Amino acid sequence: MRGETMAHVRDDLRHGWTLARTELRTQLRRLRSDRRRLFAAVAGVLGFSLFLAVSFVPGAITFGSEFRSTVPLGTAGVALWAVTMVVAYFGAANGFNQSQIGTVEPLARTSIPPRAVSLGRILTQTVQSAWIIVPIGALLLAGVAIGGGPAVAAVVLVAVLPLLAIGLVVGRAIGTLARYANERLQVSLWVKAILLLGLLGAIFLGTQVLLNSRYESDVQFAVGPIVPGTPLQSYAAVIFSPFGTTPGPLGVAVTGVVFVAIPVGVLGALRLETHVLVADLGRDAATAGRVEESYGVPRLFEIAPSARVAWRYLVRTRRDPRMLAHLTPLLFGAFGLAGSAFQDPGVLLTVGPGAAVVTGAVLAGSAYCLNPLGDDREQLPLLLTSARSVDVMLRGRMLAGVALGLVVAIGLGAPLALVEYGPGYVFGQSLLAVVLTAASVGIAVGLGAVAPKFERREYMNVERAHPSQWAMLGFFFGGMIVGGIGFLLLWLTLSGEYVLAVAFGWLLYVTVLGVASWGGYRYAVGRFDAFSLDDM
Amino acid sequence: MGTPSPAISTRALTKQYGSTTAVDGLSLSVPEGVTYGFLGPNGAGKTTTMRMLTGLVEPTDGDGFVAGTHCSERRQLVEKIGLLPEEPPLYSELTGREQLQFAADLRGVPWERVSDRALGLARELDLDGDLDRRIDGYSKGMRQKTAFVQAVQHDPDVVFLDEPTSGLDPRAARTLRELIVELTDDGTTVFLSTHILSVVEEIADRVGVLYDGQLVSEGSPAELTDDVDSDGDADLEEAFLELTDEPAAAW
Repeated sequence: MRGETMAHVRDDLRHGWTLARTELRTQLRRLRSDRRRLFAAVAGVLGFSLFLAVSFVPGAITFGSEFRSTVPLGTAGVALWAVTMVVAYFGAANGFNQSQIGTVEPLARTSIPPRAVSLGRILTQTVQSAWIIVPIGALLLAGVAIGGGPAVAAVVLVAVLPLLAIGLVVGRAIGTLARYANERLQVSLWVKAILLLGLLGAIFLGTQVLLNSRYESDVQFAVGPIVPGTPLQSYAAVIFSPFGTTPGPLGVAVTGVVFVAIPVGVLGALRLETHVLVADLGRDAATAGRVEESYGVPRLFEIAPSARVAWRYLVRTRRDPRMLAHLTPLLFGAFGLAGSAFQDPGVLLTVGPGAAVVTGAVLAGSAYCLNPLGDDREQLPLLLTSARSVDVMLRGRMLAGVALGLVVAIGLGAPLALVEYGPGYVFGQSLLAVVLTAASVGIAVGLGAVAPKFERREYMNVERAHPSQWAMLGFFFGGMIVGGIGFLLLWLTLSGEYVLAVAFGWLLYVTVLGVASWGGYRYAVGRFDAFSLDDM
Repeated sequence: MGTPSPAISTRALTKQYGSTTAVDGLSLSVPEGVTYGFLGPNGAGKTTTMRMLTGLVEPTDGDGFVAGTHCSERRQLVEKIGLLPEEPPLYSELTGREQLQFAADLRGVPWERVSDRALGLARELDLDGDLDRRIDGYSKGMRQKTAFVQAVQHDPDVVFLDEPTSGLDPRAARTLRELIVELTDDGTTVFLSTHILSVVEEIADRVGVLYDGQLVSEGSPAELTDDVDSDGDADLEEAFLELTDEPAAAW
């Protein structure tokens, strides 16, 4: 009986490894055959490593050098906790983002036992995470070695490895549970989106409020009381005992828990994942096939074919908010402001109006315009054989973006501004909102034409051809800078100073934005009118 | 009175992907108002040919004309064609009716002008009761029917159909065949690619057989079967198998 069980485990391991190897090999080949993706992946890792080198390696060197006098247990506790949390994030993202197992799902699900499929998934995604974690870890360890010597780095590695494993496993289980809840909840996609955003917001705001309260209590900022470093400090005291630390009973207990938690966590995550896999909850069961009333086009959108096309994009979004999943990073910016407003409601009235305008403008461009053709990959045969020019579709996307953006930029920005500022400011801000929103969509569609993305990938549990991450981040930050300049000009205008210089500033500002927007639109039309399926 | 220009004509049409030649010097001519059955084994180059003729991909060499328009002139071409590709190009979040309206908007054609025809076709295909349901709840057959209506609702001169009966039940498949015949009766040219030879045998006026990117035989279904068996006992399936048998095709 026991021998039979062991044989099953061996078989599952073998099948799981085969699946993982096939998946990884496929991904590697895909990466190697697409130089742009390969370049982006390498540049991403190098860029991130460089950022870390500048930000954290000096700290790692200092940390290592401290071992020469006293073992820095306090810092070690916090650092180990931070590493565990970061890795747990990777694990959670891996557990949550699993709408498919690459390209082999139907075959895998019908050919090998579910447990082997789960094992294969875990192995594949762990190796994928290692692609990011290992270079960064190596860089930080090198810093520790420079500061304290190779022996210190080796012991730090011994301390970190079990926590990496636990972070990945626990994070994965949390992610899988979240996915299970997401698929199990038979409610509308909007309710799910609001729940998910509420959860993210609560985590974000909670952390920010907690940190702000520490800063504002005028007590010297101490991470210890906020982050439970103590158990991991005790753990560090056990692992670092070769350097003279004294292991206490708590440390021995924590170390024991850490080592027991690894196999238990692996088995638990595996079991949970296999259960979710077998349960086959049927995605989108809450909405698929539901009888709807076909929406007619409202009078406002009846003015032109492109406006009617815009209405269809809005209707599609109304029915499936996942079309906007790529905008999640924008929310984190909004959460940041919300956190400040939670602490000091006055911020909402002083900074809020401007933030609403900039957010609305960025939303207008990024909602539908950052990957116009990639987003319609499956419908390209229709789009390219129906319209004389893609301009109808592009203008439709731009108008849909403007409609969404203005709701935030003026619908939210103007009422907020009315509370704190005079009518002149509100009028000026609303004009600026229109200029920024109109400029945003043209620039975004141009950016989307420069870097169209046709590969489907999963983000926030939504699998579609999301816009390029680089284009999106560049657009977000660029939008903030351009919006900031606009508000500076608005303030100067209302102050009545430097009249000529300000007038010239406006002329330059509007001209640059207008040229960039019109140029972006014309470039996109030209590029996509000449587009063929060969270009994908 | 001169000879009417063909609805579709190609001259040495060629498409290469790297070192692979998908379509190799294809020359064919399809008269107006006929159903042209385009046959060939998997990988013969049928879909690539269709894509070139509809302007979705550019030929490496040669020319293709559809309703008198060169296939690289996409602006002019789209007004004359309708396409039903193998995978129905539909937005799953829209209802069937909204999808058809969206397609009309893309063409810049007012819905009122095409709605009678579109809704009539939907009724004949037994789809009218489902037009206000979201497409993500449609079966494969319903998607296929919607995509067919979408391809022909604007009354194009030439319709390209890639496996149009795929996923349809026998009754719907028969209705679709009848609709194709009606289309040609009204003067539309239908370029039909399918593996279901009985469909071609039943409704095609002319048949072209593509093998390894080259046209190996062309004629009416009867001419094709006669070519392989002068006794007239062979059916189109036997003719197809013989024509696409490696040594015969090579010859």
